[in-house]
Amino acid sequence: MAEVEETLKRIQGQKGVQGIIVANSEGIPIKSTLDNSSTVQYAGLIHQLVMKARSTIRDIDPQNDLTFMRVRSKKNEIMIAPDKDFFLIVI
Amino acid sequence: MSATGGKEGGKRRCSLLLRPYVSRTLFTAAVCTYTQPRSLVVLLPSSSSRTTSVSHGGPRGAHQRSRQTTSVLGCHSRRSLGGSKVLEKNVVQTSRQAVRVFDEVNNDVTPQPLYQADPGAVQPMLFVDEMSVGSASDQPTATGSFTLPFSRSVFGSSRISSQSTTESVDDEDMFSKRDIPLSFPDVKVKKDTEKEQVTEDMLKNITEVFISETDTFSLLDMPSTFVCVDADEAEATIARNHQYEEVCRVSRDKHVERSVQTLTGTTKNKHVQSNGLMVVDAATNVTVCDMYEPLSDAEQEETAGICNPVKTDHLEGVTDSSRGADRSVSVGSTATTVSASGSLKEVEVKALNAETQWKLIMLSDKFQLCLQTVERSILQNSFHPQLAAYRQLPVLGDPECPVKNEMVDQRTGGTDGGPSLQCLWVFSCELSRGRSVSCMTWNRKNPDLLAVGHGEFDSGNQKPGLVSCWSIKNLKWPEHVIHCDSAVTALDFSANSPSQLAVGTHDGSITIHGVHSQDNRSRGVSSRESPNRHLGPVWQLRWTQQQVSSTGEEKVEALLSVGADGRISKWFFFKDGLDCIDLMKLRRIQNTEIQTGGKRTEMMTERVLTALTPGLCFDFHPTDSSIYLTGTWEGLIHQCSCSNSQQFLETYRKHFCPVNCVAWSPFNPDVFLSCSSDWTIQLWKQHHLKPVLGFTSAQKAVYDIEWSPKWPTVFGAVTEGQLEIWDLSLSILDPVIVQPAAPGVRMTSLLFSSQADCVVVGDTDGHVTVYQLKNLSVGEQSQVDVLEDLICSAASR
Repeated sequence: MAEVEETLKRIQGQKGVQGIIVANSEGIPIKSTLDNSSTVQYAGLIHQLVMKARSTIRDIDPQNDLTFMRVRSKKNEIMIAPDKDFFLIVI
Repeated sequence: MSATGGKEGGKRRCSLLLRPYVSRTLFTAAVCTYTQPRSLVVLLPSSSSRTTSVSHGGPRGAHQRSRQTTSVLGCHSRRSLGGSKVLEKNVVQTSRQAVRVFDEVNNDVTPQPLYQADPGAVQPMLFVDEMSVGSASDQPTATGSFTLPFSRSVFGSSRISSQSTTESVDDEDMFSKRDIPLSFPDVKVKKDTEKEQVTEDMLKNITEVFISETDTFSLLDMPSTFVCVDADEAEATIARNHQYEEVCRVSRDKHVERSVQTLTGTTKNKHVQSNGLMVVDAATNVTVCDMYEPLSDAEQEETAGICNPVKTDHLEGVTDSSRGADRSVSVGSTATTVSASGSLKEVEVKALNAETQWKLIMLSDKFQLCLQTVERSILQNSFHPQLAAYRQLPVLGDPECPVKNEMVDQRTGGTDGGPSLQCLWVFSCELSRGRSVSCMTWNRKNPDLLAVGHGEFDSGNQKPGLVSCWSIKNLKWPEHVIHCDSAVTALDFSANSPSQLAVGTHDGSITIHGVHSQDNRSRGVSSRESPNRHLGPVWQLRWTQQQVSSTGEEKVEALLSVGADGRISKWFFFKDGLDCIDLMKLRRIQNTEIQTGGKRTEMMTERVLTALTPGLCFDFHPTDSSIYLTGTWEGLIHQCSCSNSQQFLETYRKHFCPVNCVAWSPFNPDVFLSCSSDWTIQLWKQHHLKPVLGFTSAQKAVYDIEWSPKWPTVFGAVTEGQLEIWDLSLSILDPVIVQPAAPGVRMTSLLFSSQADCVVVGDTDGHVTVYQLKNLSVGEQSQVDVLEDLICSAASR
């Protein structure tokens, strides 16, 4: 468990990382390094995106599943690691 | 009917002869004497009783046939038909012979049935038309109010009386009148048939039409209470009537005639109100995956025995948070995918502490995996060009990003110059900082994994050692860290089981660790308890694959080590630890006499003291894995065989300082290199006891040496202060590339990367630097030949 914390700290300390959000499977943020409003906003919006992406993948092949998602924009990049119980967002 | 008959009878009493003819219907003739309506029967629509609206029929009958009282008979059946909607088809075939009515002048005025069962014709309509021919009143509906017939009779009587004056008495007229409606069906039938074939020619044709009368269908047969005078039962009926009159007369006091009217109750409206039904629309979008999940999970759940009671317990356990936590754990771990139950879960989860949830997530393996992936991705972003260079992938210039363009410029600038090294990145972290790198090795299977052993063994203090396994994918943090009790001096990955890492330490023990990502705390199999363990530091380890025996298919792998106690041992698993057998003991050799002069024979005498000299390194022949070379502390290189544990095959003398490293050339199996602390690197040819070539560049001890896996004439050497890359095809006097170490830091070990043109160098500061070789020109002709030529030319000198 300490390792996980350490890893999180390391990621946070990497160059270019703005924030990390860990949200549960409904899109409610559990842990975050950003401020509250951004966290809630990101979590909610990205949750929808992940659901859509996941359903897309699974519609094409039900045995497939989404493992990782990267959204690159002009200003930054959002990395999303979805899972059944949670998803991890790194900006 | 009888009423009208009776009434009619008042006006004109004419007796009609009724000639009965066979008929299944009951005909009762009206007895003309009765003026009063005998029975006014209310017609019930659905009653099966044979009632008829007598008064109904009365006016009709009168209508149709004026005052002929004979109307009773025929009317009866017809009226009954008209009166009731419920047409009881008493399939009574009336044959025309039953009753024939004749009037005074013996005209056959037998009433013809109005209703003729025409199969195709519109019979009810016909019937209605017939009804409406002479009638002005409304339709004879059975559903009329009950009072209607009663009132009808009143009207009927009045009508009749009015009509009686108007209508003529002429029977024939009536007869004809009667015929008119009667002929309607026939006419209508005719018309129908004619319409079918209407052409001008056909019209002119004279067609013969045969009209026949169908049988009478009696749809409702209600026997009348009137009996014909001529009927068989007439006498009986008359007698009964008389009897009745007697009774009435006699008991006039007792019996009072009284009319009764049923009162219809007033209707009462009652309102009932109920609650409106709440209708809730529930809809859901189902995708293919939603359908697939429960199916696949249901199969799994059946086998796993996870049952629904777990879910239902949810609702009960809401209040108890601790229990709820357990439940949610169980739910979280069960594969519940139904969305309804998922919503229940949500409610549960929200009620829970966020802390516990966080803990759950953190403990799950997947989270760690996700973190790892994310970290790697981030680093990949940061170190994109370097990684691309390592992987020898072209870096595409990002048009929007100006920084990348600079890199490209640098790159192009670099190609102009000669061979050079470019530092790509440095593996370093807090853990390894300050600990000198003692050895490095690549993973045999996964060329991205690099194991680095840290340990200070030059100095006296024994700091605990560290093995960090780095991955190319994560440049900032080692994938796996193993803490050792003492300084690590040797490392090697196994080839057969690529996750096994053998670690040799300064205190002489060898431990085999499994390098799995989660397995940080497990202690590997160790040779610590072995009685045969090395008494001094283990300087080198190697997993070798022995020759395949005739029986086995897999190559048996053996772990061999050379230690400071002068033994070369082969290790194997024994009980819980390792045990070894000695392959070779490095005896101290001192040659007393050297006979020189072309001949390479040397006399070696063994001292009485069979002291062992520390072996510092060894290397196995690339093709013949039973032959190996060992470098010793004394500067001797022995060539030995695994099968012969007593004698050396060869001894190569040149160095006078400890031989730090020997390396067979991967391209030329006869050639090997050795480096020593006497500042020299020697190139040897097998079985030649004198080195072919010697290289010196810096006046520093050479710690490590390695052939390039790609170019036969290139090798790298690490001295104390610099990294040297030698290219024998270019120059045998000077290294091609010299990379000075960072100030204050000594380089200690060297590895070539098999994947890329990179060199990995470890230094005393714990940093592992990755350099990329650039512009090492590779000649056109085969490098091996070049080497051969060199050697030959050198040997001939």
